[in-house]
Amino acid sequence: MKLKAEILPVGARTCWFAAAIFIAGLLTLAARLKTVQVDRAADATDGLRRQSVRRVQTAGVRGRILDRRGRVLADNRPSVSIVLNAGVFKRKGWDETAEAISNAIAAVAAVVGRPSPLTERDIRRHLHQSLARPLTVWRDIDADALARFEEQSFRLPGAAADGAQLPGFAVEETLERTYPNGPLAGHLLGYVGRDRAESPAGDEGFNFRELEMRGRSGLEFYYDGFLRGGAGESRLTVDARGFAGAVPEVVVPAQQGPDLALTIDADLQTVCEAQLAGAKGACVVLDPRDGAVLAMASAPSFNPDLFVPVLRRARYEAAAKDPDKPLLNRAVGGSYAPGSTFKPITALAGLTAGHAAGERHDCIGAYVWGGLTIRCSRTWGHGPLDLREALRDSCNPYFCSLGVEIGTNALVSAAHAFGLGAKTGIDFPVDYAGVVPDATWKMETYREKWYPGDVAQMAIGQGMLLVTPLQMARVAAALGTGALVTPHLKADRGPPARPLPFAAADLAAVREGLRLVVGRSGTGRRGAEGVCAYVLGKTGTAEVGARERRRKNTWFIAYAKGDATSRAEARAAEVAVALVIENGESGGGTAAPKVGAILKAVFNPREEARDAS
Amino acid sequence: MLRRLLLFNWVQFAAMLALIAIGTVAIWSAGSAREGAAFHAMWAANLRTAALGLALYFLIAFTDYRKYLTLVAPPAYVAALVLLVLVLVVGSEIYGGRRWLWFFQPSEISKLCVIAFFAEVFGSAEPLFRRREGFTGFVVAALLVGIPSVLILAEPDLGTTLTLAPAALVMLIAANVWRRGLAVLLAVGAIGGAALLGAVHEAEKPGVDPARRAAIIRYVPLREHQLKRVKTFLFPESDPMGAGYTLRQAMISIGSGGFAGKGIGKGETNHLKYLPPSVSMNDFIFCVYAEETGFLGSLALLSLFAALCLSGAWIAYVAADGRGRLIALGVSTLVFAHIYVNIAMSVGLVPITGLPLPFISSGRTFLLTVMAGLGLTQSISLHREIQT
Repeated sequence: MKLKAEILPVGARTCWFAAAIFIAGLLTLAARLKTVQVDRAADATDGLRRQSVRRVQTAGVRGRILDRRGRVLADNRPSVSIVLNAGVFKRKGWDETAEAISNAIAAVAAVVGRPSPLTERDIRRHLHQSLARPLTVWRDIDADALARFEEQSFRLPGAAADGAQLPGFAVEETLERTYPNGPLAGHLLGYVGRDRAESPAGDEGFNFRELEMRGRSGLEFYYDGFLRGGAGESRLTVDARGFAGAVPEVVVPAQQGPDLALTIDADLQTVCEAQLAGAKGACVVLDPRDGAVLAMASAPSFNPDLFVPVLRRARYEAAAKDPDKPLLNRAVGGSYAPGSTFKPITALAGLTAGHAAGERHDCIGAYVWGGLTIRCSRTWGHGPLDLREALRDSCNPYFCSLGVEIGTNALVSAAHAFGLGAKTGIDFPVDYAGVVPDATWKMETYREKWYPGDVAQMAIGQGMLLVTPLQMARVAAALGTGALVTPHLKADRGPPARPLPFAAADLAAVREGLRLVVGRSGTGRRGAEGVCAYVLGKTGTAEVGARERRRKNTWFIAYAKGDATSRAEARAAEVAVALVIENGESGGGTAAPKVGAILKAVFNPREEARDAS
Repeated sequence: MLRRLLLFNWVQFAAMLALIAIGTVAIWSAGSAREGAAFHAMWAANLRTAALGLALYFLIAFTDYRKYLTLVAPPAYVAALVLLVLVLVVGSEIYGGRRWLWFFQPSEISKLCVIAFFAEVFGSAEPLFRRREGFTGFVVAALLVGIPSVLILAEPDLGTTLTLAPAALVMLIAANVWRRGLAVLLAVGAIGGAALLGAVHEAEKPGVDPARRAAIIRYVPLREHQLKRVKTFLFPESDPMGAGYTLRQAMISIGSGGFAGKGIGKGETNHLKYLPPSVSMNDFIFCVYAEETGFLGSLALLSLFAALCLSGAWIAYVAADGRGRLIALGVSTLVFAHIYVNIAMSVGLVPITGLPLPFISSGRTFLLTVMAGLGLTQSISLHREIQT
């Protein structure tokens, strides 16, 4: 070594020094790499996920709406759109990318035979805001355009799934709401719009959220939470510029919401709507035993299928500004004076107050109290009549004097017992409570005192009393069964019926009167004419409006129960009907025949019902 | 011939072959993430360069350096200086620097020329320059390394200068050049470096008044982009989408590889282009490799680099003469400096400097330079019987 050291002028120790530096340096790097790649690997992975993963909340699938026999009233139809993946047209700059997309769309537009619906601005906005998502170019295309597109895409055997001929374009299938029966039960069903789904509690971390169908009115609105499916989640991986490459990874599949089965009978609904055609009014048919709503119609109506998938502003405004108010659901939201259909309630109040059914009152053609004169339908009076006859003839003076005798409180409590002046509790967004006036109410509303004349008016269903057709259908049901039901539209048992606080004998007496109404000489005979069932009914003709513009809202309410003459499957059926026609002639002449037709559809043998209607 | 096989340093050779293989795979992966056939074929180009490099390696290794060094080193040094001047005049400008002359980078080749010439001057048994241990020796050494360094700095290529400095330093120590002067130089360098970092820290720390910042920056001898890099090094979170972006992505890339990696060709930051494609094949290729092979892969690579550097130190130790020892030390330290600075900047240990990682980064001139240097080292190993 000594010899070597002499020969070599430079130090061997430096070699060891260098080796030590090499080892120390590489060990430093190893230690640092352990920190970065092992100890802090999770942070880095997290950072990578945050910048490269986009979370998409996918819309749930909305449940269908079915009638009581499973017929579909609201459905989802597949809607086919042609979409574009911007990643395929990625260029160096955004301008060039937008131009490439624009050119590609123009080329495909020639194939599909439709002009491009997107402006340069739309494309730029997409690149700017939702680059990772497919860009919908042609929404909801028809079979013809789809066929032309697919022919081009898949012309080559073994073409790639996204189309060898038209790279970057794909067919996307989504679901849109449809109401296959058009305007049938339009008010009842309502319609849907689209909104962003609510994000799950505590999770605001979605980058994109698909719009999902949300009920805007009717049952779609009321049962929105029930019908809505569960939102899903899919994830996109994006590159440094935000372009998504691969097919999204479905993390949570979107869930389908349950079907909503209704108590509605689509056939009966059709009959009811046919009876209302061309008129303004409403009609409700209940099962009086459990409150199931068999039909609920309002006219004029609208076609909810024209309100989806997108409700155009012009279309909505046209409907909203129509003086006939087609958007108003008169069955639950219309406020009408019940007119003479209220008289059975006055009768029961009288009987409860101690008046006997056989008591006679002499009708002289008008009821006079102080300065007030209420005329009877028969100008020269009915002469002396008892309760049954008074109901049959719908005698105003009889009920006015009975009402004044028993007083406001008796009338009000009887009206309340029939559920008037209160919401019915139906599972529907609109449930107008109506008005059962009394002294306090009048003072609060009009700052006027309560006169005996008000009682007389109320006793015959006039004055300030306001009801909805649904409430009156419920009254008809209660008159027939003796118990007040809660109407419901969803096909499960509603709350149990509440027995009326009236004596069975009193109810029986009133029913005798209502039976006479539809008898040979009754005011409502046309409501039961030819109907193969046991029918109780009451007409009503409510006068509304100032004297010079006085109109008549005509009513007929009925309770009917199948009997031996009914169609075999309808023998055990029971229905309660309330029907109102605005600006009619009379309850017996305008409304009763329509109810008769409805009852025939329920009870009569098929052919007969068809002939009759 | 048998004697030759025994003198041949197999460790260095095997490590080199393994590194070429790893580099080719890494270049393939980085290239596959980019658009363009040229990038996809980069791995093959790397293999071709490596084949050329191997030929060069063997040619130099089996030539007795003792016979040719005196003949070759001085003109090579002069030629390198000429090329370095030439590149400043007619070189092509890429990414804001004049580093390319036609198809190669003179600064890479010049490193080897400086080392060889330095060894020739200070390593001879009968030195051309006898008073190397005094002040004059120090000045000569400083000029010898300093002139090409200044030329390279002017390109500007700070990284290359920074790798040449430690190689020169180790050679100065080995050659016993004026120790006191060296100590002073080291001390000045350390103090200067610390002062520089401290000044940038003072100027760039959050909440500093812009006027004060400007006042400090005026005295900091760094260019705008260098200042940014130092700032990013000191405050990595300060500008994650701007100056700090590359470092942040490098850390995400390396870190998300985890312990075992994501698999060859499956690096996400690379393929999704979060790691800027402009640097993923050269300066930051370690990220591509580390993401795909994980900590295990990093350790394997560091082990191969250790074998390469330590075999160089061993060859220096057993070298037959002073020139051989200096060359072996110089080349090993040069390679080590590249390895250390490149990986350290990828993991945020030193500021970002544009330096390739030997054998892994794609780059023809550098690969050939390194292989020529290693060939020279191997030649020292092969020709170590003492001449009489």
